Amino acid sequence: MANYLATGRRRKRSREDWIIDTAVYLLAAIIFAICLYPFWLSIILAFNEGTDARTGGIYFWPRKFTLDNFKNLIDDPAWAKALLITFFRTVLGTTLIVLFTTTVAYGLSFVNLVGRKVYMSVMIIAMYFSGGIIPYFMVLRTLHLINNFLVYVIPSMLNIFYCMVAISSFQGIPPELGESARLDGAAELTIFAKIILPISKPMLATIAIFTAVGQWNSWYDCAFFTQNKNLRTMGYLLMAIINKASLANQSMDAYAASAASSTVTTMSVQLAAMIVAVGPILLIYPFFQRYIVSGITIGAVKG
Amino acid sequence: MAVDERKKSVWKRIGKQKQIQTFVWAGLLFLFVFNFVPMFGIIMAFENYSIADGVKGLFTSEWVGLKYFREFVNDYNFFSLIRNTLVLSLSKMVFTLPLPILLALIINEIRSRLVKRIVQTVSYLPYFISWVIVAGFCQLFLKSNGIVNNMLISIGSIEQPIAFMTGKQYFLPIAIFTACWKDMGWWAILFLSAIAGIDPNLYEAAEMDGCSRLKRIWHITLPGIKSTITVVLILSLGNLLGGGLGGSNFDQAWLLGNGGNSEVSEIIQTYVMKIGLSKGRYAYAAAIGLCQSIISVVLVFTSNFFSKKVSGDSLF
Repeated sequence: MANYLATGRRRKRSREDWIIDTAVYLLAAIIFAICLYPFWLSIILAFNEGTDARTGGIYFWPRKFTLDNFKNLIDDPAWAKALLITFFRTVLGTTLIVLFTTTVAYGLSFVNLVGRKVYMSVMIIAMYFSGGIIPYFMVLRTLHLINNFLVYVIPSMLNIFYCMVAISSFQGIPPELGESARLDGAAELTIFAKIILPISKPMLATIAIFTAVGQWNSWYDCAFFTQNKNLRTMGYLLMAIINKASLANQSMDAYAASAASSTVTTMSVQLAAMIVAVGPILLIYPFFQRYIVSGITIGAVKG
Repeated sequence: MAVDERKKSVWKRIGKQKQIQTFVWAGLLFLFVFNFVPMFGIIMAFENYSIADGVKGLFTSEWVGLKYFREFVNDYNFFSLIRNTLVLSLSKMVFTLPLPILLALIINEIRSRLVKRIVQTVSYLPYFISWVIVAGFCQLFLKSNGIVNNMLISIGSIEQPIAFMTGKQYFLPIAIFTACWKDMGWWAILFLSAIAGIDPNLYEAAEMDGCSRLKRIWHITLPGIKSTITVVLILSLGNLLGGGLGGSNFDQAWLLGNGGNSEVSEIIQTYVMKIGLSKGRYAYAAAIGLCQSIISVVLVFTSNFFSKKVSGDSLF
């Protein structure tokens, strides 16, 4: 990336440069802090004794370090189950979405496909218009997907936006690559799986990351499409706590009331849960962030 | 004859492509079930529909015409729902669009490559966490003995802690702030890549002519990303009622809304959920949802029309 500021390096920095640079670095520091500090504060408070944290004054470092909040969370069977469900839906959902979406995209990437124009219009109509949540619920209910684990993974299997991204990626692959295999009589599915997918790894990674993050974070489908306690996801449990806590006064502390000797509070367990929920994202973020920029720019080109 | 010949060859061509046609039809079947059947299902808004009848009920239920729409207009929540939806959408739009541009300009002016990368990477981290977590952060910072209240008390601007989360006058500022916090860095990526595409010679020439840095930003950078700004503006206009760029109206209203601020935080989308899925009045909820959909469709077409006029680009 050529930076036009580099051209100014030869000459002396003017007074204006000093002022602007100072302002820019100051603003950059503020942005950096605003974006990261909420995460940091949650982490240190999740590792601090809850009863101690309630007295306030903890801003940069834990005062009374403890793992009790996390222990409390894991000991709660509801949270352990939610963690498992969330993990499974993320793995299964991501696999299904990536495979199904790219298979459909592969078919649509052939320019000589009969009816291609009509198919693409159908996709675009489906992308911009919907019947709304209630008729959608009706369809899920008719298909017996309500109160069913599959509601997390099946209805989102085809993502039209990612499909468009995959189509343009497949169209960038020279057609000769599949041609020789095709002449040898290989099935299209084989060509797709053995030749096309392996060379599309960066695109697959981009789609997989965005899908996985979405699946991991999701609370909406759990809140509205299931009532089954065994299917609760982490996002849902967190939502339930947070919704309740914003009304409840902090002094009415369920945990503290039940066990006077315990150091955990509702807030500290909630923070531990939040850390468990964002932890995986924070951990893989440095590795996947290089795919992000490519992800949004492909999307933007398709606009 | 000629038509027959062509028809035959189309079928022949499809026959030759039957494998890839199968892939595509699998996708179309999926869209039919999960997108087009619900679109058709919207007719339940005009029927005395019961969810127990499933899809079949759409054909057998009694037709009641505009009954539910009349009920919605007469609903005692009607005006506040419309007002809340519009106020939340418009005020978020006003703030969430300029900030990513500003952020992109700031990041672009950073001289050190390393600092630039770090600040940019950190700025779009919030985009990847869920609104549930953001609501949790809000609670943590805004609770009665949280950082914000403590700070306000220590500088002496308040004496008693403020109940931010339940005060109705705070809902909108919190919603706007969190929307900016979460999506600012993400949309800045788009503007930064547009800035990277500007011809560096323009800057050099301007500098030779003694153009100051601020003037270069004003006369070269901003005009250089004008078309990107237009596209993003149009995209967010199309989804105005959903919450603009981030599409976050529902999440915010559901997660930050509560009994204390429901007067301003209840929007059409959350009301549809409460009436439909919680109270079981599906047909009425579908009618309310349809009202919002109609406004949205009009917005999509209007913004698409302007997009074609202004930039020559169109979404479809």
